[in-house]
This record gives sequence, C-alpha cells and structure tokens, in this order.
Amino acid sequence: MTSLNTDALVAVVAFAGALLLVFGLLYRMAARSVARGELSPEGVMILRWALVGYLAIFAVLAVTSFLS
Amino acid sequence: MAQAQGQAQGATSTLPPFTKKLLRWSFAIGIVPPVVLVVALVSKSVLLLDYVHVITGGTWTGFDLYMGLVMSQILRSLEVPARVEIAKRLTPTTFFIIPSLASTAITSGIYLAQDFGKFDLHSVWIMAAGVVVLILVAQGFGVFLPNGVRIFLELAKAKPDPGLISKLTIRNVRLAASQAVFQVIIILIMAHLAIY
Repeated sequence: MTSLNTDALVAVVAFAGALLLVFGLLYRMAARSVARGELSPEGVMILRWALVGYLAIFAVLAVTSFLS
Repeated sequence: MAQAQGQAQGATSTLPPFTKKLLRWSFAIGIVPPVVLVVALVSKSVLLLDYVHVITGGTWTGFDLYMGLVMSQILRSLEVPARVEIAKRLTPTTFFIIPSLASTAITSGIYLAQDFGKFDLHSVWIMAAGVVVLILVAQGFGVFLPNGVRIFLELAKAKPDPGLISKLTIRNVRLAASQAVFQVIIILIMAHLAIY
C-alpha cells in the first residue's frame, strides 16, 4: 500500500520552487541582454535546456514521494 | 550606431563546442541518483535506500572538500585565462551532478529517518540536521547555481568578461570550502543519529 509522503514532497517542491525562482530571475536578465544585442540567443536556449534538465531530475524525485 | 549594428547582426556566441557535450554528460550522470532512489523505494529495499543516501551524501561532501581544499589552491595559482578555461569545463560538467546529489541525499535521508523511526521534528538532532541542510541548500540555490548560470551567460556573450568569469568561479570554489565545513558538521549529526 503506497501513500503520499508529505515531508518528502514538501522538500522536493521547496527545491524546485527555489530553482524556478532563481532561473526566472536569470532568464529575465538573459532576455534583456539578448534584447540589447550583448548575448547570443544560444545563451537563452541553453538556459531553457538547463531548466528542462533540472525539472526532469526534480520530477523523478517528486515521484519518489508517492512510492514510500 | 555600433550598438544598433550589433543588434541588427545579433550577438555571436563564444560557447566552446564541448559545452553541450559536457552538459549532456552531466545530465546523464545527474539523473542516475534519483532513478536509483525510485528503484530502492519500488523494491522496498532499505539496504539500497541506505546505500543511495550514503553514496550521494558522501560524494556531495567529497566534492565540496575537494573543491574547497584542492581546487581552490590550484585556481589561485593560475592566471585568469587559465581559470577561465577551467571554468568553461568545470561549470557544465558539474551543472546537474551536484544539485542532483544534494537533492537525492536530502530526500533519501528523509525516507531513511522515517524508516528508522527517527524523523521526529522535535528532536534536537533532527532540527540541527534541518538547519544545516537549509544553509547548504540556500548556498547551493542562492549562490552556486546562479553563479554557474552567470558563467554560461557570460561565455555566450560576444565579448565575455574573463575577469567576471574568473571571479564567479573563485567565488564558487570558496563557497565550496564553507560548504565543506557544514558537511563535516552534518556528518557528525548523521553519525549520532545512526548510533543513538
């Protein structure tokens, strides 16, 4: 019988929330740099892929809170 | 005028060709700990759960100690261009691995403490572990991660600032040294929890 492990889920959501907050701020900074012509669009593209990678890791960790 | 020309042409990326390869490698390694944690929980193996917690926590600690005690001295002895070359490789290689190790070590630690009936939020030792973990996570997400991303963004600029890249790299290495101190403290707490 599996049930939701709230403590673990809260921890993972806190990690992911902090990550999204930091990435959101950095993304805004990067988008402004692209608009000013200082940064190549590749920089923003890598930022998007990095976010996808982190979200994948945290999604797997979030799944574990339903397995304990 | 020059700025308008730059905008019209678009900035040229200076990211080295190996960056994406190193990022893919970092993700391939970084996804392993949470997947093994899933296997441990699905198979209900306390041994594997304990193994995941110990190896991720130990590797995270070892990395911080290595960065703080060894790499910091190496980087200090190098000229700025050499530091930048190391940053170009170190940042993408550790990009996913370290946050994955830290998150998996903490999450598996919660499961393990619950399994052994030690996850009592009124316990002084659990509270102490929680405080140290909060400090480590705040440093990781508040300084390590943004610095790593800023290094990437600087490298992707048409005219990267080597001084800034070097400064951010040194800052991360110094932070690793302070993380190493907290890691030693949390291992003391873990050793106490394991015995008593």
